Amino acid sequence: MIITKKEFLTQSGLKVKTLELWIEQEWVIPRDTPSGPGFSDADIARVHLIRDLTEKVGANDAGVDVILHLLDQLHGMRRAFEQLQTHLKDKLP
Amino acid sequence: MKNPYEVLGVSPTASTSDIQSAYRKLAKKLHPDLNPGDKSAEDKFKEVAAAYDLVGDTDKRKRFDAGEIDETGAERPQHHYYRDFAQSDGGHPYMDTSGFADFMDSDDAFAELLRRGQRSRANRRGEDLHYTLPISFVESITGANKRLTLPGGGTLDVTIPAGLVDGKILRLKGKGAPGAGKGGPGDALIKVEVLPDPRFQRDGDNISIELPISLNEAVLGGKIRVPTPTGDVSMSIPKGSNTGTTLRLRGKGAPQRGGGHGDEFVKLKIVLPKHPDPELETFVSNWTGGRDFNPREDRS
Repeated sequence: MIITKKEFLTQSGLKVKTLELWIEQEWVIPRDTPSGPGFSDADIARVHLIRDLTEKVGANDAGVDVILHLLDQLHGMRRAFEQLQTHLKDKLP
Repeated sequence: MKNPYEVLGVSPTASTSDIQSAYRKLAKKLHPDLNPGDKSAEDKFKEVAAAYDLVGDTDKRKRFDAGEIDETGAERPQHHYYRDFAQSDGGHPYMDTSGFADFMDSDDAFAELLRRGQRSRANRRGEDLHYTLPISFVESITGANKRLTLPGGGTLDVTIPAGLVDGKILRLKGKGAPGAGKGGPGDALIKVEVLPDPRFQRDGDNISIELPISLNEAVLGGKIRVPTPTGDVSMSIPKGSNTGTTLRLRGKGAPQRGGGHGDEFVKLKIVLPKHPDPELETFVSNWTGGRDFNPREDRS
């Protein structure tokens, strides 16, 4: 489900300034919708992740940046691997 | 539930900062988002988080140590981890393929598979949208302005350049799907399908047409009307024209790159009247020249 910026701020508990900063750093990437930026459940979960990284893991901003970048690559690879696996399943007896 | 000190791997007399550092160490190792493929990480992480909730909080720790509360803290609210979305469509804008970009450079099937699953990161440009637009043969030669109705209900104005060939793809910049972030929209790619015309054939910049003429016109010559993509024109056919005789109408073909036009070639075809004509039969049987002429002579 796609929600508006206002709903997203309420649900995630983020401050406007923080959200704007995170968007600028590409930690959160809203979609373009006719009524402005739109946010998804995945974006909410990503906010929780970033909070966990800073509050629980003790990562600083630079650390969060590195972790997110590596995680995004890891998920890209996991998806590619999954597709490869599906593809091979079709091809092999 | 286990003893929270055991879960965190600290002694019951550990200091608050020791407990915090033990918790952080475990959180780093066990956070579900840092272990996307390990299903057990979530349970272990929850256990550690619950233990830290209890003994990481000075008040709660005192009450626990005094036996006022047991080790079951309040259940933490249901939490969706990012990894649950990361590989689904919801997580797409974040997915990054740079970790195996070097594998995708080759031409083999594996690289193709990787490319197919590729989604770029932030500031992703919108996708290109593909459409097909059928136009008439005449429009392909003369050019036209067409309006394409999109599946979503919108419209796109498309200018067909004169002389366009079948299967040509026109790109309308920025008319594709919207992008994410500062990526900007994709393009609309319109494949133009030229519908065949029963009259005209195209051959490069030239076009050809087969034109039926009567026996009288063939024998005696005369002026006839010939269709061209820009309308009918008048053309003189010489006396004694035959089936297969090809005449050229200069500049009536498709526009050429760098100016000028191709030609229209008119191939004549003699057509006799539909019903046998007694007068023609009488004439032909009395026609000596016709009796002596053998068109298959040079074939023997």
